[in-house]
Amino acid sequence: MGHDGLIMKVYDGSSTERETPERLKVGIAEYEVTTEGAELTTSGLGSCIGIALYDTKTAISGLVHVMLPVAEEMRDGKPAKFADTGTELLVSEMVDAGADTDCIEAKIAGGSDMLDFSDSDKSIGDRNAEQVRETLGSYDIPIVAADVGGDYGRSLRFEPATGELVVKSANRETKRL
Amino acid sequence: MKVDVQSLGTFNQLAHEGAQAATDAMAQMTGIDTQVDITRITLVDRAELGEDLADRSFVGIQFDFEGGLTGETVLVFEQDQSAAIAGALLGDGASEEMAQSSIEEIGNIMMSGFIDGWAEFLETTIEHDPPTYIEGNGAAILPDPATDTTRDQVFVFRSDIEWEGEEVSFYIYMLPEYEPLAALMAEHGSDAENAIPVEKLAAFNEMTREGARQAASNVEMMSGIATEAEVSQISFAPIEDVPKQFSDEVYVGTVVEFTGTPSGFLLVLFDEQSAITVAEALMPVEIAGDGLTDQHKAAIEELGNIMTSGFVDGWANVLQQSVEHTPPRVVHDMGRSIIDPLAAQLGQFQRHAFLIDSKMMTDELDFECEITALPNEQELRKALEQLDLDRTTETQASVEDIFGT
Repeated sequence: MGHDGLIMKVYDGSSTERETPERLKVGIAEYEVTTEGAELTTSGLGSCIGIALYDTKTAISGLVHVMLPVAEEMRDGKPAKFADTGTELLVSEMVDAGADTDCIEAKIAGGSDMLDFSDSDKSIGDRNAEQVRETLGSYDIPIVAADVGGDYGRSLRFEPATGELVVKSANRETKRL
Repeated sequence: MKVDVQSLGTFNQLAHEGAQAATDAMAQMTGIDTQVDITRITLVDRAELGEDLADRSFVGIQFDFEGGLTGETVLVFEQDQSAAIAGALLGDGASEEMAQSSIEEIGNIMMSGFIDGWAEFLETTIEHDPPTYIEGNGAAILPDPATDTTRDQVFVFRSDIEWEGEEVSFYIYMLPEYEPLAALMAEHGSDAENAIPVEKLAAFNEMTREGARQAASNVEMMSGIATEAEVSQISFAPIEDVPKQFSDEVYVGTVVEFTGTPSGFLLVLFDEQSAITVAEALMPVEIAGDGLTDQHKAAIEELGNIMTSGFVDGWANVLQQSVEHTPPRVVHDMGRSIIDPLAAQLGQFQRHAFLIDSKMMTDELDFECEITALPNEQELRKALEQLDLDRTTETQASVEDIFGT
């Protein structure tokens, strides 16, 4: 998929069944949507946030890895880079793939305030989390689980088969949200 | 030649799109789905070109191209992955000869796409020779950059391409000749105000090398471990691609913010085992407990501090600017997560970033350390504007004076 996040791969279930689900990697400022239960992974979240969306009826799932809070502050045509436009983009791509916003639930992780050298009261991680909550709120998409903040990095794996978001960190127990 | 940030950005995008054209061609012809992970432009010493390939065995293809842009390019991947590639094309049980021809075929498909992508963007023609099959270890797999005795450093475009679902990575290296590249970059540049004379970027690389040497010698003084600084390069990529240049492996080290011209962040990172090795070499007492303890971390903090100071002082002396830095913060986390918030902090103000990195290692111990600077782009530009090349030359001649060894 393109770095600009505009090209999407949709897995439509036409391929042969596998024992282990396919795994799709999502890089920073990228997203993936799956309609056939592929595991979605992303790694090395510091202040970045991973937003996993899951349609409870159709199991259509998506994951986006956003870096900064608001697209308007930094116009550069990469919607998946920002918490607001990245969330919007993921919702809209999932709807295009057949999901219903009324059935979508969100799980989010990341937004650490590690290594924040800024003088401002709020770290980028906090602002990212706030923006994600706000944008999801505008769609009435509930956040059913969250693991945000703290001072450590995270890597994520979303498993559409169970709807679980697995959060791994260095030197910490793995969490299943 | 001057390079401005816009033309670097354009060329980075161009190389990225070329690599994407290569993956599209591959998907169309073979059904193999690959993804361009990252593309960056690097200015590196010709002697150090390809150090990142370590001493792994590679196979691939190589060809020359000429026209709007002239130079050489290779597509390589690790030798032990060639079976997977041949298998995908030919099914299991392909002979070695067939495997080689399938590699040539894939290489040809991808690289024709790559060159066509460039030519299309530049609205020019680029001719290329038929590909030649190559194999070799590490940097030796790469072509020698065009002989040019006046320049020690070369621009390299590198794209990493990953094959989804398979543990196969392709690397495209493109080594354009300097003059045609310079002409094209000038053509695609914007206002001269943002331009950086490339000689100054090269000089900055030299400064960084000296800083790394100083840091290495500090390690040696403290630990008695003979340490060498290797590889010093300045690379340029979209800000969101900066963290991708670090692995998910766990690192231990220090991070500081430096202020002045330029400002930014400086990281000294050891992989976990290297941190333990170095810390134990530094500390006179036996350490209780397994793995990385607080005592190890304290030693790494001290070491990181000393290395950082040497580095930053070196810059300050050459730039004749004061460069202050915060006390070091100790980090122990996944490499990519460590760089991520730093890139995000710069990403609020800039779309692309320069990444300056050096590696240090030693033959005595299994130890490796990376020193990385992530400067504010505008300020780096300002600092380079003010950089007196004569003074840099002097400095190179008397590094010991500057760094106080």
